[in-house]
Amino acid sequence: MDQPLSRPSPLNQRAIWGLVAFGAIALSLYQAGLFQRDWLNLGGLSQLGRFFQASVQPDLSPEFLRLTLNAIVVTLAYAVCGTCLSLLFGLVGGVLVSEVWWQSVFPRQAKQRSIWLTIRAGLAIPRAIHELIWGLFLINIFGLDPLVAIVAIAIPYGAIVAKVFSEILDETPRQPLMALLSSGVAPLTAFTYSLLPQAFLDLLSYSFYRFECSIRSAAVLGIIGAGGLGYQILLSLQSLRYEQLWTLFYALFVLNGTVDLTSAVLRHRLGSPSRLDLNLRRDNRSKSQKLEELRDGYSTSSDGQESHPTQNAADQVSMLKQQRQPRDRGVMVAGLGAVLLIPFCFWYVSADFSKLWSPRTMQLLADITQSSLPPNFDGEQLPQLLALSWQTLAMSILAIAAAGIGGILLSFPAAHNFFLPGGLLNPTQSSRLGCLLAWGMLLLTRSVLLIARAVPAPIWALVALFVLFPGILPGAIALGLHNLGILGRLMAEVAENLDQRPLLALKAQGTPASLVFLYGVLPTTMTRFLAYILYRWEVCMRETVIVGLVGAGGLGRLLTEQLSSFDYSSVIVTLSSFVVLTFIVDWVSGRMRRSLR
Amino acid sequence: MNSDPIFELRRVTQQFGHFLALDDINLQIYPGERVALVGSSGAGKSTLLRLLNGTLLPNRGEVWALGKNLSRLSSRQLRRVQRQIGTIYQQFQLVDSLRVIHNVNAGHLGRWSFWRAALSLVYPLEVKTAAAALHRVGIPEKLYARTDQLSGGQQQRVAIARVLVQDPPVVLADEPVSSLDPALSQEVMSLLRTLVQESGKTLVTSLHSVELARNHCDRIIGLRNGRILFDAPPASVSAEMIDALYRLKE
Amino acid sequence: MKRTLLSALLVLMLPLAACSPGSETASSPQDSVAQPFVTGAIPDQDPEKLQRLYSKLADYLEAELGVPVEYQPVTDYTAAVTAFRVGDLDMVWFGGLTGVQARLQVEGSEAIAQRDIDADFHSVFIANKNTGIAPLNDLNELTNLKGRTFTFGSESSTSGRLMPQYFLEQAGVSLEDFRGEVGFSQSHDATIQLVEAGTYEVGVLNEQVWKSRVEAGDIDLSKVDVIWRSPAYFDYHWVINPQVKERYGEDFVEQVQAALLKLDPNVPEQKEILELFGANQFIETENSNYQQIEDVGRAIGKIQ
Repeated sequence: MDQPLSRPSPLNQRAIWGLVAFGAIALSLYQAGLFQRDWLNLGGLSQLGRFFQASVQPDLSPEFLRLTLNAIVVTLAYAVCGTCLSLLFGLVGGVLVSEVWWQSVFPRQAKQRSIWLTIRAGLAIPRAIHELIWGLFLINIFGLDPLVAIVAIAIPYGAIVAKVFSEILDETPRQPLMALLSSGVAPLTAFTYSLLPQAFLDLLSYSFYRFECSIRSAAVLGIIGAGGLGYQILLSLQSLRYEQLWTLFYALFVLNGTVDLTSAVLRHRLGSPSRLDLNLRRDNRSKSQKLEELRDGYSTSSDGQESHPTQNAADQVSMLKQQRQPRDRGVMVAGLGAVLLIPFCFWYVSADFSKLWSPRTMQLLADITQSSLPPNFDGEQLPQLLALSWQTLAMSILAIAAAGIGGILLSFPAAHNFFLPGGLLNPTQSSRLGCLLAWGMLLLTRSVLLIARAVPAPIWALVALFVLFPGILPGAIALGLHNLGILGRLMAEVAENLDQRPLLALKAQGTPASLVFLYGVLPTTMTRFLAYILYRWEVCMRETVIVGLVGAGGLGRLLTEQLSSFDYSSVIVTLSSFVVLTFIVDWVSGRMRRSLR
Repeated sequence: MNSDPIFELRRVTQQFGHFLALDDINLQIYPGERVALVGSSGAGKSTLLRLLNGTLLPNRGEVWALGKNLSRLSSRQLRRVQRQIGTIYQQFQLVDSLRVIHNVNAGHLGRWSFWRAALSLVYPLEVKTAAAALHRVGIPEKLYARTDQLSGGQQQRVAIARVLVQDPPVVLADEPVSSLDPALSQEVMSLLRTLVQESGKTLVTSLHSVELARNHCDRIIGLRNGRILFDAPPASVSAEMIDALYRLKE
Repeated sequence: MKRTLLSALLVLMLPLAACSPGSETASSPQDSVAQPFVTGAIPDQDPEKLQRLYSKLADYLEAELGVPVEYQPVTDYTAAVTAFRVGDLDMVWFGGLTGVQARLQVEGSEAIAQRDIDADFHSVFIANKNTGIAPLNDLNELTNLKGRTFTFGSESSTSGRLMPQYFLEQAGVSLEDFRGEVGFSQSHDATIQLVEAGTYEVGVLNEQVWKSRVEAGDIDLSKVDVIWRSPAYFDYHWVINPQVKERYGEDFVEQVQAALLKLDPNVPEQKEILELFGANQFIETENSNYQQIEDVGRAIGKIQ
């Protein structure tokens, strides 16, 4: 027998990025002062207790409930309008910045590529700035109008949607498009007849996800002049009326939960089970090809129609079938609902869209541009800006690390295919107690995730500040908690859509559950998990702006100070630092994701 | 046949909803046999295999494997029996994102402790055994390759190498070659047969091709609508019997 | 008609819609015939109450002035000042600093009224009892706070940030003298809670809020107490935009001022309004009263 191959060096690209990540986390912890000083403040336990105690006695007085109900409708309406607008921006932008569009329009000009890259990078600017800051800026040009909140959501979200849509389009198989283009069809027409319908389901499920995010954003935008849950939360928060706060949180749970659930059911019916498909390796096969394969698999190995591996295939086949004939009644009702809901929301919000182009807006825009130019920047500020940028970065790194680890841990008990009877990791044959326990755990983790994401980050910041000394840490924990709720849900979905066959194969050879997890579940889910984490990192960084009260907000703190001093020429400089940070984060996360493939 | 049967089905009936997958089956399989299950789709081949490796428990009747009634075992005891049974699948069912060595080493998982298994993911253990197994299936150079970069034939070889590492006395195979082209099918079946013969293992495989069954097995069981239509050595299986097996209507 | 039809349809489908779209959302600036007089407030103390009192005040002003009065809720200092600047808010209940910031951005705007207590307003410095910081006897003893952790309230708060920072600087204490970064708790109540919890050792807030929380028994005085009461300064006041003169007539500003000053604690309904503001009555004020605040604001960079 020949010599076995020499081991590949353990220092591959992945390992190096792993080390970089660990190093970054360690440095951030150092910056948070975890090793130098006390960070836990047990003196605040009674405050913490009072906050959570109020959760069992929310304010249920009729007046407050009426107010809450009204606020729910307002928040929903703003979220719907914001989503619609951002999808509009996103769709147009997504097509325009997709690589495939540029290649179809300018097939032979190589130098167009640099223009394309520049435009695509330019999207980082609207993304780098938090909705709240956009809101404050837009008041300057639109005045107090519901338009402010809608556009404040639509600008950063539109840029994110454009980025994701363009990625989806670029990863969709191009042969049909090329066939149309080569027969002389104009690019836009060719797009509408090939790529857009092909990618429709992916685009749609991402839109659902965006809507869920919009609800959360609408709940933070308390500055809007029209009420809503964010406004009420801010009011109750400022005088620390916990009982009222909890009523409003419960309203947010209901709203978030309902939207999550509806979107999950709809996506399932439409045959697109994942809300955000950050598929790292999209095999370049069209869906119909997959369908053929699945059918083959179905017909050759379908002795037991409910056997697990084949059931998976059968499920997918039926899903794909439904996708071919989307005349599902539930989907129809939902479609009709959307058709009615969207105009209702626009009517209800009654934003004055004429302000988008009115002379007053132009005048005010000129005013603010004038007062923010030239940027107030000299070399002396550089060390301060760098220090604050690093603080911001460190907080975002800690936040996303906490959210990622927590999300991974909670995603498995929150997924229905692991610990429930018949699940992959369910160790025992189902006794009634075990079954009850498993269901209890599923509901518990799902509620924890829902609470974590429904409660806005600034509230978590205050709560964290009760028991932690000020610094980066409470801010990171607040952002971590909020994002944990979002990531955990996304990850549970990945776990639920896992290819079960390799795991069942391991199980069939007598592998204990813990090792099935180690050799089957972890390797198949981890790359997707990490992709989500990296994707969310950028969001965490933007959100450092809203947890400034923790006493170490980095750039965010500086920004609020400058905004409240109406020092727009300095604001510009701080915002530029945010943009630069977003570029860096974008680049690093792109590289890391590529190395995961 | 002087030894005890390695598998025994006693009046086994398996139903999925209204669909009767297996209907009152009695069957004994002895050590060292190479059994082919043939029949059209839905005849009950996969169900039978899943009953044999304990991933499915029968609605009625008893399945005995290696002297144990599978329905009567605790999950720990069941795992102990399952370690003695290796299974190969049509779709390979490997963990795509792992290196080949880890998929091969997965054959050890029934025996390895958690920590040993975890360590091996970081620093592969028992590399020699894995390399030897890959050598026997003809792809020694793929030891450290990513599994999803392999072709279908190569992946099926990895799956076979995993069973070699597991080294069970019984190998079950569910349509092991139907995802492969004909030439490759012959090759992989020969490989499987040689490996089983060399170490005197028992093989139970479902096959869509009667030809392959005749060439590689010493006993052919014809299943139709959940019943055993015939159970005979290849030489006694006539063309009429095969026709009856695949005939569209009664 | 179309609109009514549409909404009727939606009401059928959406029980949520039953709570009618409030008039506060549907302000259409097109009909300039009866353009409303828009008032607003920066919530700083009891924002919860402030929101409720506003509908009462709006009703009162509407009756007194004979023009439609509308209340626009805003929760953010910066947003309120900006809205005042672009002319979407006609009259705002500003804090000391924000009032000055707003007036400086709108030429001709005037401070017209304040509460009786605003002419003699104080901040209180509070400390966690575990720190053992003894009550301070005079301003210069603020130096005792060096090396402690410290929190303000909101960035733009006069009583929770501007004047305290001024007094600290008078005593020769700069923000770098505190341990760690200075906090901005964002509200007076949060300051109390965070100092009581010990997260920050020392904090500063509006005396009025402190007193009312002590009265209500919300504060554990064994954990946190006042260590120093600041000298007096001017704080909250009403600021009005000169554009109302064009809209409702030259003497409109005087009319509004008169209406505010006329609020009588002996009339039960009006007493309620005054109580919600925490005032016995409103008194006259003028721009020059806030010169000190403007100077301090410039000195510490809140006014550019």
